[in-house]
Amino acid sequence: MTPFQLVKPEELAYLLPELILVGTLIWSLLLELILRPRQSRFPVAGFTLLGLLAAAVADLRLLGEPARTLFSGMIVRDDFAIIFQLLAAFAAGLVVFASIWTREVSDQPTAGQGEYYLLILGATIGMFFLVAAQNLLMLYLSMELLSLPSYLLVAWPKRSRPATEAGIKYVVYGAGASCAMIYGISLLYGLSGSLELHDLNAYVAGLSDQTALPVATFLVALLLTLAGFLFKIAAFPLFQWAPDVYQGAPTPITAFLAVGSKAAGMGALLRFLYLGLCVRGSADLFTALGGLHWPMLIAVISALTMTAGNLIALAQTNAKRLLAYSSIAHAGYILMGIPLLSVAGLTAVIFYLAVYLVMNLGAFLSVIMLENQGLPPEIKNYRGLGARSPAIAIAFSVFLFSLTGIPPLGGFIGKFYLFAALIQGRLYWLAVVGVLNSVVSLYYYANIVRRMFLEKPLDETPVPASPMLRGLLAVLALITLALGLYWIPLYQLVEFAASTLGL
Amino acid sequence: MLLDYIPVLALMAAAAGLALAFTLMSELLGPKRRSAEKQMPFECGNPSSGNPKRRFSVKFYPLAVLFLLLDIEAVFLYPWATIYRELSQGKGWMMLFGFAEMGLFIALLALALFYAWKKGALEWD
Repeated sequence: MTPFQLVKPEELAYLLPELILVGTLIWSLLLELILRPRQSRFPVAGFTLLGLLAAAVADLRLLGEPARTLFSGMIVRDDFAIIFQLLAAFAAGLVVFASIWTREVSDQPTAGQGEYYLLILGATIGMFFLVAAQNLLMLYLSMELLSLPSYLLVAWPKRSRPATEAGIKYVVYGAGASCAMIYGISLLYGLSGSLELHDLNAYVAGLSDQTALPVATFLVALLLTLAGFLFKIAAFPLFQWAPDVYQGAPTPITAFLAVGSKAAGMGALLRFLYLGLCVRGSADLFTALGGLHWPMLIAVISALTMTAGNLIALAQTNAKRLLAYSSIAHAGYILMGIPLLSVAGLTAVIFYLAVYLVMNLGAFLSVIMLENQGLPPEIKNYRGLGARSPAIAIAFSVFLFSLTGIPPLGGFIGKFYLFAALIQGRLYWLAVVGVLNSVVSLYYYANIVRRMFLEKPLDETPVPASPMLRGLLAVLALITLALGLYWIPLYQLVEFAASTLGL
Repeated sequence: MLLDYIPVLALMAAAAGLALAFTLMSELLGPKRRSAEKQMPFECGNPSSGNPKRRFSVKFYPLAVLFLLLDIEAVFLYPWATIYRELSQGKGWMMLFGFAEMGLFIALLALALFYAWKKGALEWD
């Protein structure tokens, strides 16, 4: 364990993106105080967007620099963290932008409209620290920093029963997962004598013969710690909160949870597993540490997650609930790349996350736009939408087909890399499960498209939409399409970031 | 090693078994006379009234949170005071750095308190 050091002021320079976000948060707090309650929405939201943009730019400027450990090993600034921070900033920015024009959020009688954006900013700061944390305590704290504003945001529509119910469920479930995780971390600390991931790695690697590892204790500690991560990314044993919370929460927040929280949780999970429990072997391969087959555990969790998500999604009639189960299934797909322990697998995971971010945000944005025009997210309401609002219907279909993984869309390329990595890593059974699941998912995604284009509309009135959201939707649809045709720059960036992890 | 804990496991099993047995026995053997009165939800012995799903006042809660804010401030001030000299690391200007850091921290807490105050967290009604 590195001895305690006083903070060096020059380290703060490498914390610039986080500092920008914290500064934005404080100044928006003041802005919210100065302005009258009814007026604070646009200025605070605009200021938040600016802050996120500035943080992303600061992150980009740090890209490519050698990894640097800050604050006595608490956090590390490497390209892996930067990629995930950029994803978090992108997701948060889009959610803030969409929220400004979302009726569900802006029609609330709540006095402090600006506070909504403050909370999103707070959660984003949590994500930034989460993906950079290299110490289990820091990891836990930043996960809480992400969770607490999320609980509030879910219950934001104050007088709405479903939102309140979703909020309570999320808090209680989250508190349970959080308890399990901190208990698991305490066990890991007891075993290795340190909270740092490098020390954990050294401890497990130092056990030369496999009998020396207290496998039972270690397995319990690992499972408990995983509980926190699996809750955040809504994976197999801990996904039951997701449908209720996703359905009850305001739709922009649902998108934020399904995309931002999931990406950040996945980033922290990757770092925990690869940095804490892997040693870097020859060429391209990591090796799982002795006596404990945790990659198999992750593979099984992945298979169960996508199967459960897809099978339950088949029976859904509510679009938000369906997208919730679909996001559970996607957590399963993303997890597929982890047990490979190769840079190819890691790259595929991050690449898929990036693509998933765009297409899933797009799908939720379509739901938001329809909801704005008084179409509650029941799938039967989408009947004949192709005639009433061709633009939204076509964009929505693009996102749904991309989520299924149909060429020439981004989702196909993401899935292609995942399956290619699986074949390369000879994890054939998981690839088969993944492909079968994609086929199953085609049914419920295509069902929405069928309703939109092949059924007669209930009434012929066109569905208008605000020009801002229309523009955003078009941009997201174009990115989804573009990523299916020319994805090399993104892939190279991600591959570069993936190769820096664990070095 | 782990085998040493077998007696503990046995004790836990015995305790769980005993509790389960007593519960089951009273459930199976005990006399039961159900009446409408007995099936009512229990509310301090009074006839139950009102809907439990209503908003309730959280007046004490913001005060407690604000108290916590000042509490945390004090918790951080003590260690800061004890290592204040070391903070300088032999350089004079670093003394100022340590002072500015704590000043910033207190200013941020004060800002939060001010925010809560302006938002009416200190109003009782």
